[in-house]
Amino acid sequence: MTVATSSGPTPAGSRNQVSAWRLLLNNRLAAVGLVLLSLLVLVALLAPLLPLPDPDATAPAERLQPVLSQGHLLGTDQLGRDILSRLTWGSRVSMAVGFAATLVAAAIGSTIGLVSGYAGGRTDNLMMRGVDMLMAFPYILLALAIVAALGPGLMNALYAIAIVNIPFFARNVRGVTLGLSHAEFVDAARLSGKGHLSIITTEVLPNVLPVIVITMSTTAGWMILETAGLSFLGLGAQPPQADLGSMLGEGRAQLFTAPQVSIVPGVMIFLIVISLNVLGDGIRDVLDPRLRSGALLRPGPRTEVHSDRAQPANGFPSAVLNVEGLETGFVRNGHYSSAVKAVSLHLHPGECLGLIGESGSGKSVTALSIMGLVNSPPGVIRNGGIYLHGDDVHSMPDTRLISCRGSRVAYIFQDPLTTLHPMHTIGRQVEEAISAHQRLDRRALQERSVALLERVGIRDARERAKHYPHQLSGGQRQRVGIAMALANDPDVIVADEPTTALDVTVQAQILGLLKELRRERGMALLFITHDFGVVAEICDRVAVMKDGVVVETGPTQELLADPQHDYTKRLIACVPEIGRGSDFLARVRSVFDAGNKP
Amino acid sequence: MSAYILKRLLSIIPVLFGLSIIVFLVMSMIPGDPAIAILGSYATPENVERINRDLGLDKPLVQQYFIWIGNVVQGDFGRSFALNRPVLDEVLERFRATLILAGVALVLCSVMGLIAGVISAVRQFGWADKAITFVVLAGISMPSFWLGLILILLFAVRWRLLPASGMYAIYGGGDLKDLLLHLILPASTLAVVAAGVIARLTRAAMLEVLRQDFVRTARAKGLPERQVIYRHAFRAALVGVIPVIGIQAGFVLGGAVYIETVFQWPGIGAMLVKAISTRDILLVQGGVLIVASSHVLFNLAADVVQTMLDPRIRA
Amino acid sequence: MKRLFQGAAVAAAIALASFSAQAQTPPNVLIVGQIAEPKSLDPHAVTATNDFRILVNLYDGLVRYKDGTLEVEPSLAETWTISDDGKTYTFKLREGVKFHDGSDFNAEAVKFNFDRMLKEDHPFHDTGPFPLAFNFSAVEAVNVIDENTVEFKLKEPFAPFLSNLAYPTGLIISPAAVEEYGKDFGRHPSGTGAFKFTEWQSNQLVAAERNENYWDGAPSLEAVVFRPITDSNTRVAEMLAGGIDIMVEVPPDNLASFKSDSNFKVAEQAGPHVWFGILNTKEGPFADKRVRQAANFAVNKETLVNDVLQGTATVAAGPIPPAFNWVNSSVEPYPYDPERAKQLLAEAGVEDPKLTFYVTEGGSGMLNPVTMGAAIQADLEAAGFAVTIESYEWNTFLGRVNEGLESKADMAEMAWMTNDPDTLPYLTLRTEALPANGGFNSGYYSNPELDQLLERARRSTDQSERAELYAQVQEIVHDDAPWLFVANWKQNAVTTAAVEGFELEPSFLLNLKDVSK
Repeated sequence: MTVATSSGPTPAGSRNQVSAWRLLLNNRLAAVGLVLLSLLVLVALLAPLLPLPDPDATAPAERLQPVLSQGHLLGTDQLGRDILSRLTWGSRVSMAVGFAATLVAAAIGSTIGLVSGYAGGRTDNLMMRGVDMLMAFPYILLALAIVAALGPGLMNALYAIAIVNIPFFARNVRGVTLGLSHAEFVDAARLSGKGHLSIITTEVLPNVLPVIVITMSTTAGWMILETAGLSFLGLGAQPPQADLGSMLGEGRAQLFTAPQVSIVPGVMIFLIVISLNVLGDGIRDVLDPRLRSGALLRPGPRTEVHSDRAQPANGFPSAVLNVEGLETGFVRNGHYSSAVKAVSLHLHPGECLGLIGESGSGKSVTALSIMGLVNSPPGVIRNGGIYLHGDDVHSMPDTRLISCRGSRVAYIFQDPLTTLHPMHTIGRQVEEAISAHQRLDRRALQERSVALLERVGIRDARERAKHYPHQLSGGQRQRVGIAMALANDPDVIVADEPTTALDVTVQAQILGLLKELRRERGMALLFITHDFGVVAEICDRVAVMKDGVVVETGPTQELLADPQHDYTKRLIACVPEIGRGSDFLARVRSVFDAGNKP
Repeated sequence: MSAYILKRLLSIIPVLFGLSIIVFLVMSMIPGDPAIAILGSYATPENVERINRDLGLDKPLVQQYFIWIGNVVQGDFGRSFALNRPVLDEVLERFRATLILAGVALVLCSVMGLIAGVISAVRQFGWADKAITFVVLAGISMPSFWLGLILILLFAVRWRLLPASGMYAIYGGGDLKDLLLHLILPASTLAVVAAGVIARLTRAAMLEVLRQDFVRTARAKGLPERQVIYRHAFRAALVGVIPVIGIQAGFVLGGAVYIETVFQWPGIGAMLVKAISTRDILLVQGGVLIVASSHVLFNLAADVVQTMLDPRIRA
Repeated sequence: MKRLFQGAAVAAAIALASFSAQAQTPPNVLIVGQIAEPKSLDPHAVTATNDFRILVNLYDGLVRYKDGTLEVEPSLAETWTISDDGKTYTFKLREGVKFHDGSDFNAEAVKFNFDRMLKEDHPFHDTGPFPLAFNFSAVEAVNVIDENTVEFKLKEPFAPFLSNLAYPTGLIISPAAVEEYGKDFGRHPSGTGAFKFTEWQSNQLVAAERNENYWDGAPSLEAVVFRPITDSNTRVAEMLAGGIDIMVEVPPDNLASFKSDSNFKVAEQAGPHVWFGILNTKEGPFADKRVRQAANFAVNKETLVNDVLQGTATVAAGPIPPAFNWVNSSVEPYPYDPERAKQLLAEAGVEDPKLTFYVTEGGSGMLNPVTMGAAIQADLEAAGFAVTIESYEWNTFLGRVNEGLESKADMAEMAWMTNDPDTLPYLTLRTEALPANGGFNSGYYSNPELDQLLERARRSTDQSERAELYAQVQEIVHDDAPWLFVANWKQNAVTTAAVEGFELEPSFLLNLKDVSK
């Protein structure tokens, strides 16, 4: 998936408010839907002004004229009425009923959902049981029964359809409201003495509104179909008034002899509903907060590399891994902004390089860029070369890059609860890491995986292998992550804050383990952290990152002893040392004051 | 787990109880009564009264309801007025047909929906995604009865490839192959709508999952993209989609009404429509209760499957 | 399913199983596309023509309609005599006839049949209800004279009695089967007819096989299968696809294409059917006879029958359909004359008459009610009426119309199929037949002269006298115009070219005994 940044729709979110509308139009399908729907609505609205014949004027002698016949562009129906005219007027009726039903269902359903979700407890239980009952009643039959009870006619069909659709709104809105009713701002409003009604309308409703709009946009098409369905069964518009469903229902008798009579309204229903659905789909994408943040974009197997990146030559041919002039950035809303710039790092065999910086400084982006693991879109490697044993990683074809992952360069990630697959056993996940690069039979795989787990210090490894990640402690999960990284004896391990999520004792154990393994296997280690204490313990050299740039680099001891950059000084100062707690603040204050001086 | 299932099963009872009251109320609100349906054009007020007396419909509504519920508790669902047959016999026979149709449709729509959704997510914004999105939305945008008629016109009349209607061939049929042949058109028509919904949700779920950290871990291990998508992402996305399939089952059952009418499938949807129009109150009761129960059971089954797929909930 | 046609040719079944995708009907088994599933196969419990079409093949009555007519001929009764006062009918029964369940047909059986329907204290009266029992309400007692002679005592002379016996309500069922199955008899029918019931699969089929011992000669068909296909398009599709051999009630628009296709044969037959609009003569604009006539002039019935119904009906002149050809009426239908209609409206001094018009969605014999309603509405509007249509589903519609149109509507669609010219006017046009009295006179029409004529005509046993009386009825009703007279339906059916010997009957029944394939 190497899409050039300039082409292709990239409806990623941004903070500006204009974007929603632009996003919608960016989605070409949705834009087409919007245009089509506007056109159809316009024609329907203008029906009285258009030069159309009387839709109810019968001329049985001229019945079932074909499409494009004289005076009847779309032919005539079973009573010789002009189909084009009936279609226009019928669309008007069908759309009005469909939209009105949507509004009614939204109003009633949302109210039920709001009250139910806000009140909770018994009220909630009772209301939701009622909604369950509505849901369990086959919807067409419910509509049928309602219309049978109220009598036929468009208004009654409208009520029936609205009632049938109440549960969708009630359920969706309740779900969101339930979460909001315990939100802090709602509690605050309650404490400030606001009444329930005013809390619901002023605090909860605005936050629920997107859900209501999404549900409306996705059900409006459905409602028009149902209106047609009821009319089809003869429960909608009263003859001779035209609506699309009854046109279809009545025209059906001619399906074999004059198919246009039923196909024309069928196609019209299709056009209206599909334009609504396409548009609704687009609206949902736009209003969905996850999609706005770009979270619902499909990341490709490797980070996209810009086609004309600058690729500096390999300055350290002897290094096992050398990053030269790396620039990685993100495209959001069509605009590129870089996250790291001109980053150069190298790792000699068996060496441990610490990459340190505060969160957001670009450490992780750098680490993930190495093997093309930055999610893309929106990530792009704009510039730079990454040399693994002298080969540029980002010039490799997909298969080669993928085969290097795990076997030459392995990763250990930060939060092992989210980075392990929640539905596979840990044994299986380790086995998978092995089998990605080695052909072994089942038994051998199992043995290796158990051995690895044992090696990283998991007790009862054979038993533990059958467990799922959520059944392990944080430290154990991190050991599993390390075991997976070790599986293929890689040349380089990139450890992205492997100890941050752990408590201090476990952290020490893990660091000890990593140190031991490095010694034992001679792997190079790129160790990413924000903690100089950890760096001091494990790293040979350190690179300090700030705002996407490496500001200082050097052997650990030298750098610790004589930091050049103010930022480095501040980072070092933040490491508390045992027994020197009393003057910690004074020490820190001095570097920060110094740093702030112009 | 079994305690959970039991609890869920027990919670059906109040829903069914409430439904039976609603059905009684709604049916009594509908003008016209079963006697008219039995008498047809010969329904004079006098005749109607006589037949209502014969059927016990002259008693107050509340009393009728209690007589009915008292019998139901003893396993007697009464007799259908219009069909002159025990309600239970008719309902079970019809429900079996619907279950076959809806079951096959459900499998079809799940398979189609999941595949379409995954492809659509994997090829997000590519031509395949756009094509699938369009086809899927087109499927949701068509009146199913209309689609059904057009399929009959093409496959049964024009090309003579498939039978036009019914469940079995009248003669020489009755085996599985015959049933499947008769199922193709109605089940596909029925599956189209639900497949669309499932496809859209699968796509969204896949897109969400593909962003998750464990997918990156899978990539970092050096797994081929195919495995990343199917073994890791899809497996996780499926867990979110299963409950939706359960809800779709309800729609498939409900949507079967049109399809059963168009394809003359001897199912419970068509039976209920007729029962409503003939004011066959006990048959409506029996039919609605079984459909509603199966609706709840489908959802329960979906939850159970979800639980089995997701070890986190299982615990 | 397979055990169903045990007697049928096994080889054919095997050969066909491999072709089951192509909807091919098996040889010598006739598959009939019906419009709905039967309610019951108990002939006394049903009212729909659709069900009658099956029943007449499973059962026989004491008498039956002669082929192609509405005249009565012997069936299970070989001969009969009518007493001079017209109150005693004595039937000599055919001997040696057995019901399908093996029990004997005899005088006791006949008595059982009518007593079950008519006597509330009969032990099997609770296997009802019997909605058409009033066809025999004139019967006072049924007496067994001997094994093969049975006597009907009537309360008063009743001319349509024999015709009613030939109607499906008069079909004879097996008492033994009723005793065995009770309320479930309708699902386990047993008669003496040409075909023996074999199976009923809910909403799929009703099957019957040849009765080898049929007293009138075994039919040549091995079996008949009635398939309910409610959707008319699906029914047409099945016919085109070859899934059925016969289909009844072909939608008018499809008839032409079947006629022009040599693979199919079309049968048509006028029957005693009237399609009309009930006019509310009690209140509103139609209380004035001139306005009622104006409506009759205003509607273009020719266009309705020729264009909307594609020639599957003829224009109606009055309440007596021309299928009763022995009634020699010379009354011509109201011509289409909108000017005349406007003139009459002006004479009546009604300005801008507002009408509420009840239309139904479908229903027995209603043809194309929504389209027809819309066309009638358009014609009436053109003549100066203001018409609002209210449409109702059939059973709601009947409920509303049968209790009378007062304060609800001015006009309602309606259609009847009958077996005697007495039935329709007697039930719907007499003063005594007002809804309050349990009749069907929903438009409150009242004309004492007509009431007298009808009473006389039903008591007379002289056909020519009756013919004369009904001609007068036709004339009076035509002129008073309590209805909007619209159409008399020509029923139709399509068969595949291979079907031989198939004919439609004026009685709307479907006799399959002489059909072969």
